[in-house]
Amino acid sequence: MDVFGSFALLLAFVCALYALLGGIAAILTRHPLLIKSTRQAGIAACCLIFLATLSVVYLFVTDNFSMSYVVSHSNRDLATFFKVVALWSGQEGSLLFWCFLLSIYIFSVLVAYRNKHGELMPYVGTILAGVQLFFLTISNFVASPFKSLAIAGSSGGLEYFAKADGNGLNPVLQYPEMIIHPPNLYSGYTGFTIPFAFALAALLARYPGEKWIHLTRKWTMIAWCFQTVGILLGAHWAYAVLGWGGYWGWDPVENASFLPWLTGTAFLHSVMMQEKRGMMKVWNVWLVFITFMLCILGTMLTRSGVVSSVHAFAQSNIGSWFVGFLLVVIAVCLVAYFKNRDYLKSENQLDSMVSRESSFLFNNLVLLVACIAILSGTLFPVFSEWFTGSRISVGAPFFNKVNIPLGLLLLFLTGVGPLLAWRKTSGESLRRNFLWPIVIGLLGGAIAFALGARDFYALVCFLLSTFVAATIGAEFYRGAKVIRARSNLTWLSSAVELTLRNTRRYGGYIVHFGIVMIFIGLAGQAFNQEVQKEIGVGGTVRIGPYELLLQAVDQKQEKNYVAERMIVEVLKNHKPVMILFPERRNFPTNQESGTMVAIYSTLREDLYVVYAGVNQGSEVPTIHVFLNPLVKWVWFGGIVVVMGTIVALLPSRHAALVLAGSKAPEVAPGFANAVPSSVALREGHD
Amino acid sequence: MTRTRRILIMALGLTIAAAPVTVLRVRAELDHAHELGKRIKCSCGGCEQSAGTCYHVGGSFSGPCDLAKTMIKEIQGHLDKGLNDDQVIQAMIAKYGPGAYVEPPKTGFGLVAWVMPGVYLLAGAALVVFVISRWRKRGVAAEATARNTKSVSPEILERARALARKATEE
Repeated sequence: MDVFGSFALLLAFVCALYALLGGIAAILTRHPLLIKSTRQAGIAACCLIFLATLSVVYLFVTDNFSMSYVVSHSNRDLATFFKVVALWSGQEGSLLFWCFLLSIYIFSVLVAYRNKHGELMPYVGTILAGVQLFFLTISNFVASPFKSLAIAGSSGGLEYFAKADGNGLNPVLQYPEMIIHPPNLYSGYTGFTIPFAFALAALLARYPGEKWIHLTRKWTMIAWCFQTVGILLGAHWAYAVLGWGGYWGWDPVENASFLPWLTGTAFLHSVMMQEKRGMMKVWNVWLVFITFMLCILGTMLTRSGVVSSVHAFAQSNIGSWFVGFLLVVIAVCLVAYFKNRDYLKSENQLDSMVSRESSFLFNNLVLLVACIAILSGTLFPVFSEWFTGSRISVGAPFFNKVNIPLGLLLLFLTGVGPLLAWRKTSGESLRRNFLWPIVIGLLGGAIAFALGARDFYALVCFLLSTFVAATIGAEFYRGAKVIRARSNLTWLSSAVELTLRNTRRYGGYIVHFGIVMIFIGLAGQAFNQEVQKEIGVGGTVRIGPYELLLQAVDQKQEKNYVAERMIVEVLKNHKPVMILFPERRNFPTNQESGTMVAIYSTLREDLYVVYAGVNQGSEVPTIHVFLNPLVKWVWFGGIVVVMGTIVALLPSRHAALVLAGSKAPEVAPGFANAVPSSVALREGHD
Repeated sequence: MTRTRRILIMALGLTIAAAPVTVLRVRAELDHAHELGKRIKCSCGGCEQSAGTCYHVGGSFSGPCDLAKTMIKEIQGHLDKGLNDDQVIQAMIAKYGPGAYVEPPKTGFGLVAWVMPGVYLLAGAALVVFVISRWRKRGVAAEATARNTKSVSPEILERARALARKATEE
């Protein structure tokens, strides 16, 4: 199977190479057969990558310990689903997995648009083949997962051998979320390749009209959604496994995943200016380019060892390959831009400083500043070493101090932007739209203050969150009211109807609401409490309204590890609430140990209990307890964001269908020619 | 604005505001050495975490870091000797070097890290204001041209229709 997989991967490389070179030839010659054959080569490469990936999974599941990668990341006692997950637990497998996810995207694009966008698709296919070729080069010749174990034999040749068992999977990866976190995050990273390909292709082909921007936006939203889920799942995994009581530590790998998310978010906002007003074409194209480049840069940073990270599993010497690829991408983008920049000439005009357009510009500014600040902070240790000879660390406190004000500014714009009209907002409109949200926001802040919130940023965050939620509520209310007046539906049905009629707009509002929830959760961190204490059996720890009683410490033998666990009874106001079982797991195969946090989670707070080890001298166990308010709001907010994105991706229902049965209003003949009927029936503005 | 609408919006806002803040409490004290440990980088070399939050073992990242624990004990030792917080931090920096700051010092090259985000924001804001002013001037000029034009040509009308369509369609 290893030979089969290795051959499939090599053949995929050949197909991708043909798709790239043939694609360039097809663009130059416009030969239909060449165009078709390169597309089919691209599809074939995707299928072959699928087979190669399947081969690695098969090698893991069948415990093939003659393969170096399997030996390093699995063992016989490992549960079967973790053997499948082990595919992406190391450098070689994760790169192949990257290739695999990219191939799913490429396959979808090549098949879905095989008979569409004839002028654009040869360019798109060629660009995608170029990206795929890079990853296939790495997977075939630099970090192949198909290396067999071998030693130099007495005859001078290589002698292959197999080990009886493997080294096992890293303990912290033996957690259910590892099944879904990397696939989502990688789907985000790889997904940004598609908008990049469409944007670059449109520029190179000087593709007329705005169709490409719609395609780019749609694929960006898909990638953005995966990236969001991936980031949040990673945060949840870190929270539930690592045991330090937090979910975001500004580790370089976390930062690397956040950077393209920020630029992708900026693009999803500024793209509206191009669609509605034909503005910011250059900016949008570069935002897409930069988002893709940040995906490559982030991968390079975290896999090259340039910056130290807790994600040490991925460090190797492949960074130079990524640097080379990044330079090629930058060069191609620059050449394409300077050669075709007249194609991006925009009709940039503004009627007023107080307009939706201005709010988008400031939104983009804040997102970009946050992105650059995080990137420069992440790279600062490297820069400081270059300039001063000593490495200056940049940890979480720095990133928090820099990004919290930026985040709050962004939250403010989230509330303000949707209330401003395109082109110009009148004073009366400002008063009408902002009065009540501001009053409610101030009330929210006042309530928070009255209840004891004294942390400045948390207070501002609660105030702004209430303000933004009020603006979103008001938007739904206004739209639903119009529908309700026409159709006699209930408020809820009207709101649903409204959303379905204009999925993009109201899906966006749902996303904003999810972001508000996440901000509320983040603000809760200002009120975290923690206690670390050595306690014997029968001892207690008090934190907030909880009292924790250590009932016992025992051991349990599992197939792959031995767990030492605390049995902790949780009492709230002297009443038993539940029993928690924080664990320390020792994995004999790879001589590693890991924590398994026990969490009692409610919407108000998380009681987070860690078995932090045993005092070597006294043999008394140490318990580390955190009381983290509002953490659940972050996870629920994430779910709302995903739901909103899905809604925004759905096609809008035609207004005329909603009004089926009611007579369409009479439209003057001249007006009917000028404006589509759907527009005539639509309420509100966008 | 109708009364019902005001009440509805207010109720929504207050619900959002009241739900989370009911849990607010005063921050509890962790042992002081542990708190101070959050201001010093862990010397394990495997991450950028502080000694107070480093949670990996043996180069992996699977539990409380032994090196971090040692550093916390050192901090406790300094506190026991009667050193104040800043003196403790300085003592730790003297031992582990400037790389032990968990955030860049606000002097020397470290100051660059603190200044740059503000510079990015100010420069960016200035650029945005400049761009907006420039685009506004174009908008005013276009409006003036339109006002001076006595009759509207079919081409301009069609362009206006297209713009209106763009501004309203999804």
